[in-house]
Amino acid sequence: MGGLQKKKYERGSVTNYITRNKARKKLRLSLPDFRRLCILKGIYPHEPKHKKKVNKGSTAPRTFYLIKDIRFLLHEPIVGKFRDYKVFVRKLKKAYGKTEWSAVERLRENKPTYKLDHIIKERYPSFIDALRDIDDALCMCFLFSTFARTGKCHVQTIQLCRRLTVEWMNYVVAARALRKVFISIKGIYYQAEVMGQLITWLVPYQFSHDHPTDVDYRVMATFTELYTTLLGFINFRLYHSLNLLYPPKLDSKAECELKEENEEDYALNSECYLEKLSALSASLARMVSSAEEEEAQLDQFPVEGEDMEKLEAREREQKEQEAQKKLFDGLKFFLNREVPRESLAFIIRCFGGEVSWDKSVCIGSTYEVTEETITHHIVDRPNASTQYINRYYIQPQWVYDCINAKIVLPVEDYFLGVTLPPHLSPFVEEKEGDYMPPEKVKIMALQRGEKPAQEQEDEEEEDEDEDEEEEEDDNDDEEEDEEEDEEESEEKNLKKMEKQRSQGKSLQVKVTPGKMKVENPERLEQEEKAEEKRLAIMMMKKKEKYLYDKIMFGKKRKIREANKLTAKRKAHDDAEKANKKKTRK
Amino acid sequence: MAAARRLKRVVASQPGFLNFKSSSESLSGRRKRVNKNKKKSWNKHSDINDVEEFLEDVRLQERTTGGLLAEKSDDSLFFLDVGQPKRAERKAEPIEGKKRKGKTPRPLRIDLILQQDSLIPAPKDVLAYQQPNAKKLRRISQKAEQLAAKGVVTRRQKRLLSRRPVTKEAKKSDTEANNNPNRDYYDIWGQEQSTVKDSAEDWYLQQTGKKRVKRPEKLSDRPSVLPAVEVIAPGGSYNPDFFSHQALLKEAHEVEVKKQKEEDKLERQLAVNKDDTATEETVIREQVEGLVEEEEEEEEDEEEAAHDEEDEDAEGGSSLAKKKTERQRKREKADKIKELRRLDSKRQMDHRQQLFQLRSIKASIKQQEQSTEDKQKIRKANQEAEKSQPRRLGKLKFQAQDLEVQLSDELAGSLRQLKPEGSVLKDRFKSLQKRNLIEPRERAKFKRRHKLKYVEKRAFRAIT
Repeated sequence: MGGLQKKKYERGSVTNYITRNKARKKLRLSLPDFRRLCILKGIYPHEPKHKKKVNKGSTAPRTFYLIKDIRFLLHEPIVGKFRDYKVFVRKLKKAYGKTEWSAVERLRENKPTYKLDHIIKERYPSFIDALRDIDDALCMCFLFSTFARTGKCHVQTIQLCRRLTVEWMNYVVAARALRKVFISIKGIYYQAEVMGQLITWLVPYQFSHDHPTDVDYRVMATFTELYTTLLGFINFRLYHSLNLLYPPKLDSKAECELKEENEEDYALNSECYLEKLSALSASLARMVSSAEEEEAQLDQFPVEGEDMEKLEAREREQKEQEAQKKLFDGLKFFLNREVPRESLAFIIRCFGGEVSWDKSVCIGSTYEVTEETITHHIVDRPNASTQYINRYYIQPQWVYDCINAKIVLPVEDYFLGVTLPPHLSPFVEEKEGDYMPPEKVKIMALQRGEKPAQEQEDEEEEDEDEDEEEEEDDNDDEEEDEEEDEEESEEKNLKKMEKQRSQGKSLQVKVTPGKMKVENPERLEQEEKAEEKRLAIMMMKKKEKYLYDKIMFGKKRKIREANKLTAKRKAHDDAEKANKKKTRK
Repeated sequence: MAAARRLKRVVASQPGFLNFKSSSESLSGRRKRVNKNKKKSWNKHSDINDVEEFLEDVRLQERTTGGLLAEKSDDSLFFLDVGQPKRAERKAEPIEGKKRKGKTPRPLRIDLILQQDSLIPAPKDVLAYQQPNAKKLRRISQKAEQLAAKGVVTRRQKRLLSRRPVTKEAKKSDTEANNNPNRDYYDIWGQEQSTVKDSAEDWYLQQTGKKRVKRPEKLSDRPSVLPAVEVIAPGGSYNPDFFSHQALLKEAHEVEVKKQKEEDKLERQLAVNKDDTATEETVIREQVEGLVEEEEEEEEDEEEAAHDEEDEDAEGGSSLAKKKTERQRKREKADKIKELRRLDSKRQMDHRQQLFQLRSIKASIKQQEQSTEDKQKIRKANQEAEKSQPRRLGKLKFQAQDLEVQLSDELAGSLRQLKPEGSVLKDRFKSLQKRNLIEPRERAKFKRRHKLKYVEKRAFRAIT
């Protein structure tokens, strides 16, 4: 039994961890500096598995870092810069205290600064890595760009964030990459697809800030510092991938159009260009002047069987996407002054529409209200004062719903003064058998290419009474009335389908003793399939059968619940309708 | 003094001298007799008032008229009075006034006061016109002109010309702040590492600080599997579907109920138990505690004492155990061996019997395995679930923010009337905490090191 006595807490997991304070001392940094360094370098605290062992027997809550991470931090050149900065502040204070103004000036001139470029390169070795982490960056930059310039953070940071977000939006417009939009009570969620990556970001509403006190602004500012650098480099790369100039320049043609005499009313000369860019109404200049884009054709490979199906599905998807990209092609929008201009201009331009607004609202309007070719006028008031005959007056939700539905929805539900259909979240993906709100069912039917069913005819008639002027304006409405007869027959069809859907799979499973129909091979095939399935079920082992029954039961239960919800909804709607009628009388 | 006096006498004796003050004649009363043989007394007692007055008068004349009146010509002192001026002259003045339109602006009184009214010009400040080293500089410039005319460039000039211009811009870019809104970006991912160098060189470059240390691979995986942006539930739409809105409301309600329950529990635990409060009875009992002896207790005590005695007896008996006989020993040993044999045979029997229990053993093993597998599965699932949970990274636990919810009557009918709920800033901050990127922290409390001292201001004190 020789040898030295083993000491406690000198081997094992203790050796892998280091407490925050020790790490800070090792790096010779103050706590705020240490925090900043960790955020910039992407080093996060760890929770050890056995805290007591790591904490040398104590159970006091502590923040731990991996010792290897801290050792890695020791090599960072920015650490030196932090120390320099500390010395700089000390010297500056001294000079101020002695009222040596020349010394103050000299020190100010030589203020130590640092760049984060190498950190970006190190943390994101490839472009795709960076693109995957862009969600956070976008959220943060959009957030900071809406801050008031009141000293919660540097004005320069706000300006930089604004610039970067404008660049990003211009890229999304140019690439037509937007996929989904969701107006929530918190802010507006956007989703875009950039180079195969789905990117989601949240944009707060303008002027909606009450600065919360329990948020550490210093930490947020540090994150923003990193993310502005990241977003800038990503923007550069994205612009070049589309052959656009970076920093973005307006198209020379568009620039001429946007020239106005009273530019000084909006912004200083220095800010004018950014403002024009942020108006989003003009396209950007390309590096190579040929604007013709080649439509990339998917390469065709000879394939068989399942792959074929996959390929077809993929092709279909791509076609859909192409169609979605040209959703608003040829449409001309005009925004009234009370609608959120930036958001609407952004999404309309993303889908190929043209957009303008009143000259006094913002810089960069391209045409007047009086323009004859305007097709849609977006208004968010109960009624518009002067109405032109040849355009639709609609509420802003129409634009958002169109994008989420990927088709141009009928405008009737979105006229002025009409109670809007609910704005559904595009981020929810229903599985088979889940409850779907009737509005979604309707949209899906529309997507399949079926005509909308006029479920609430009586209500519509009431509406028509209400908006007589509207009818005078829109001759399209009358045409629809003529079409209604046709639609009624289709409505029956749809109702039948809904019924089937509500009963779900149970219908298909059932086998009816057949009248032979020779002319219906589809049905035959179906029956055959059903028979096969039945047989397969019969041949199942006891255990498998049990499992199968369980699954089927679960499915049925789901459907039952969904049905219950739909019934409830219908009852609710009916009650609402009755209420409405009562109040009218 | 004497000189002044003399001067006075000389001037006054001159025929043309006029005095400003009429009573220049000194009123000579009785003069005091003092010895003036010493300089001090001479200085003290000689009367110089008249001289001073005279000099003052001279200065006044110079100031007001620009010289001595006596030296002035008669024309400058007198004029011929010919009555009031003619009308034509009068008329001429208003024309000028009309031209100017309105009154001529009269100078301010303060300006008039500050105007210099003395007629003696201020003395020239000679130093202001002097240039140091003027002569030398003049000579140098003359020489330079000569050389320039000849076309000669001096060595000094040559050196100046050959010096590189100072580039200030380069320095500025070096000290440019990181958040400069006009900063430029470049293709950071463009230049890939062209050649793979051998490891020895790598090491050298790292050690000399010419190359950055490679980032550990492990740092690139994220501390949480949660997405960066969690989209709000469909009920959070500004114009939600009825049921999804109800679902969100229910969720928020459940959170609130849970909070309420915890609060209630705490309150219950803190509440005073009524049985613990002192009543009159208990107070009295406490006061007489130990004063009134109770018989029952005494009896119990006695019993206990008896027990103790018995125990002591038993212990004493064991210590005085008798010695075992030889026979007893042998017998015990035989018993022991017998017992061992019995156990052995039993074991063997069991082994043999296990052959027939194979099925049940198998079943039990299977059961065991099944249970361990289940446990493993549960543990794996737990581990997976834990990956998306916020970890305990510091003193404080992560506290999720309140759900953003608008009640049915708060919902806006249109986008224009929408009132945003919650703060995006807070949402981002909490998201960072939830993803274990930063540890949850409380705002540092401000601690005053010295006590505040209140003092009334002086001005305020004067009033009260």
